[in-house]
Amino acid sequence: MTTSDAIDTVVKVLAPHIGSTMARSAIEAHCHKLGIAATSPLSPEQLDLLLGKLTAGLNIFVGREKSAAVIGDVRQALGALGRAR
Amino acid sequence: MSTTGRQLAWVVVGLTVALYVGWALAPTSALYTKWLDGHRLLAIAAVFKLASLLAGAAWAFECRDRLEAGNPARPAWFLLSLGMLSSFAGQLCLAPYQFVFAETPFPGPGDIFYLLAYPFLIAALLIFLNAYREAGLPMGSLGERALLVAGVGVVAVVILRPVVATAGPLLERILTVAYPALDLVLLVPLVLLLRIALKLRGSKVGEVWLLLLTGFAFMCAGDICFAYFLALGAVELDPFVHATYILAYFLVASGAQRQLRILKS
Repeated sequence: MTTSDAIDTVVKVLAPHIGSTMARSAIEAHCHKLGIAATSPLSPEQLDLLLGKLTAGLNIFVGREKSAAVIGDVRQALGALGRAR
Repeated sequence: MSTTGRQLAWVVVGLTVALYVGWALAPTSALYTKWLDGHRLLAIAAVFKLASLLAGAAWAFECRDRLEAGNPARPAWFLLSLGMLSSFAGQLCLAPYQFVFAETPFPGPGDIFYLLAYPFLIAALLIFLNAYREAGLPMGSLGERALLVAGVGVVAVVILRPVVATAGPLLERILTVAYPALDLVLLVPLVLLLRIALKLRGSKVGEVWLLLLTGFAFMCAGDICFAYFLALGAVELDPFVHATYILAYFLVASGAQRQLRILKS
């Protein structure tokens, strides 16, 4: 799974909650800070780091419980993406 | 509150705002001379403002309560609740005069609470901004923020100059300048949050911020109109001020309620 595929999937799940523009710009900003390139494959460790950052951001908007549920949905969608390939 | 209840509240507030705009535009029509005189309209406005402010304070406090300890947005919801509660206390001080004597004393004891609301509201918006910055959300460059502050400064000079030049008792003049000046301070975090809110469009959280920021914008507009109409001695334009505040408080309260629904879902 490439980073850009993962980003598209995460954006799709986050969009109803924080909007696709905010989701994409937050993910891209975090990827940049974490040194994750869009074209390279995303390792499980990088994914965990990225989702950790997104959880912290989402917490502020929707609270810890809801944030954990949304990130759970993200993991499920990414799992499905991995299986599809 | 159910979906039908919320829709009904929007219709009622919409009609009420239209009622006050109508009062300003056609004060001699039968509706305003036979059925709804100035006294009744003042009382109706007071009831709407009190209800929205109290509900908004309660919902914002519940948002604070629903967020876990350590959540950076928690103190912001608490301060927003205190700001709404302080405005409620201000409105409550005016209510007896409005209900019994059909007048709004200015300056009056209510102004203490209205002024007290500003530090709470400004701090709430700044804490929201800081929380979003810490979460890594894009905030714009330092240069852009400096440009914004400079822009607000220019607007402040344009807006405040005629208000400062108004004659009248010292306390009245101080308060007439203080309200729009504090609104302009509020405007800085408001515009910065608007940048974030635009990126949230089309989402549930985006709805919260659209309601909150529009409400704050109407609050600022209401204060500036109040200062101008007072400076001009244009009492006949007061209904516009009532309409603006009714809408402002309702929007902020609706924003807090929308956030609460997200936290409860």
